[in-house]
Amino acid sequence: MSAHNLQEIESFLYLESSYLDQPDLDKWVDLFTEDGKYWMPASETQKDPLNHVSHIYDDRVMMEIRRRNFVHPRSSSKNHLTRCSHIIGNIQINSGENVDEINVTSNMHVIVWYREEQQIYAARCKHILLKQEEKFKIRLKRVDLINPEAPQKSLVVYL
Amino acid sequence: MDAKSNKLIDELVEPTRIHKSVYTDSSIFELEMERIWGQAWIFIGHESQIPESGDFFTTNINHREPVLMIRDKEDCIHVLHNRCAHKGAKIVEERNGNVRGALRCGYHGWTYNFDGSILNIPNEEGYKDTGFDVKGSCNNLQPLAQSDCYRGFVFATLSSSTPPLKEWLGGAIECIDNLCDRAPEGEVELAGGILRYDHPCNWKFILENLNDTMHPMVVHQSIVQAAEDYIKTLPEEATEHRSEAEIIPPFGASYTNFENSGITGFPFGHHYDGGKTSIHADYTVFPAYHEAMMQAYGEERTREIYSFNTHNVLYYPSLTIKCAIQNIRVIRPISVDRFVVESWSFRLKGAPEEMLQRTVLYSRLINSSMGMVGPDDLEVYRRMQEGLVSSGSDWIEYHRQYGRDKELGDRVVGGGTSDLDMRTQFGAWKNYMTGNL
Ligand code: FES
Ligand SMILES: [Fe+2]
Repeated sequence: MSAHNLQEIESFLYLESSYLDQPDLDKWVDLFTEDGKYWMPASETQKDPLNHVSHIYDDRVMMEIRRRNFVHPRSSSKNHLTRCSHIIGNIQINSGENVDEINVTSNMHVIVWYREEQQIYAARCKHILLKQEEKFKIRLKRVDLINPEAPQKSLVVYL
Repeated sequence: MDAKSNKLIDELVEPTRIHKSVYTDSSIFELEMERIWGQAWIFIGHESQIPESGDFFTTNINHREPVLMIRDKEDCIHVLHNRCAHKGAKIVEERNGNVRGALRCGYHGWTYNFDGSILNIPNEEGYKDTGFDVKGSCNNLQPLAQSDCYRGFVFATLSSSTPPLKEWLGGAIECIDNLCDRAPEGEVELAGGILRYDHPCNWKFILENLNDTMHPMVVHQSIVQAAEDYIKTLPEEATEHRSEAEIIPPFGASYTNFENSGITGFPFGHHYDGGKTSIHADYTVFPAYHEAMMQAYGEERTREIYSFNTHNVLYYPSLTIKCAIQNIRVIRPISVDRFVVESWSFRLKGAPEEMLQRTVLYSRLINSSMGMVGPDDLEVYRRMQEGLVSSGSDWIEYHRQYGRDKELGDRVVGGGTSDLDMRTQFGAWKNYMTGNL
């Protein structure tokens, strides 16, 4: 996957995280392929999203529902102003399992402002990207928190 | 506590209203830990977590006391205080794991058998002629006052005067039975991990909410609408095999539906809503599962097992279960305004994998701190915690269908939208708190 230079991929990850920073879930969901998934496992080295519980495991259908709920005036947990700040680093490009896939790993620190409080998340991320019509699309974003088994606070946005 | 304090406590809970300090006063929280959590049977864990000799699981029985559940070489399960007999260091620090040979304290190296009995004290010679009995039972890891197991669910209590587990569970035991009977092999096992959700509010809010059927159509209106609006735009094939499409919409069920599900209460604060019907009643019965059930139980018994359909069952104060979903939630209080909820999933032994997958899906969709339902529930608990600081009133009310509950043998039954669940819990709360067990 040497054809993809680091800068191009970095820019894409920055764009993605800028949508989550606002958060603008409409634009963000559109970055995913039709079969795209967002996965936040609930335990370290979790292999299986179906037989083992996760914090989130959303396909496009669930993302579509979530983004509608996010702006619904009667979703009480979303009545609070939510702002995020993502910092992404240690980006590495690995060859994907399929020839058309680009497998990117990165470290991510996110501060989330929610309910008058700043919450801190640290995670290792894995993106599986595809290039469709000269644009990157996300087939999988896997977010491995450094503390997936710790009691978690309410989180109303994707990291 | 003297009689006067009991009188004061008694006055906090009236038949139709509760004083706000029950949720906000940390000295009442401390009393709850001593008198409710220190006397009730508390859910510790499930025997399937510790299948081999030396397997252990640790937790707290109330917000502070560390306990250890361990299987010994004779296959007996012990619930012990996780505290070295020497200077009190915790013996086991990890949440779960396996010890080989013996438990060994990480401070001065005293070792213990898996049943808690003392095995060896290093350099024992120093105790000679000191009056210290090296073999004395006070050197054992102390067992909890009582521990017992019902169909794999391990409970313990700090009190020796609490009635035996089965008697304490009473008629509500039928729900643990129903959960296990839903397995073709009649047993469940923990599978699929545990979610832990930090709740910055009083521990009672969640218990009072689980069978508060006047809230789902308000608190969960947005997710039901978001899901239904989107699903409408999809071709039918896209959602017909998706459990989400069965799980989310019933949260918007009508008052009539919830009223018809009914609430059933028992002594010691246990209760459930549903029975004949519930928000889980219309879930697909997977053909492979149905076949396994029919083989195990035959038609009549299988129908009977399915037809007992509860929504939330509460074993007050620590355990809530969902029979139809094979999911439990465990309450771990921390302080007057903080607790953790653990969401555990169970596999029905002998059932096809899709059953566990639905359980796991339910947990992440509904119970996860990043789910579609849990955060909206927690939001309203937090609003109560913040609202109750107000001097606008000192009371919260629970009048719904007061005077209409009916006694029926070992239980009390009433309408599904009644406050019978509150009356049941607070009856027990009062009994525990004023020494009327
Ligand atoms: S405290 Fe455990 S051996 Fe001393
Ligand atoms: Fe709710």
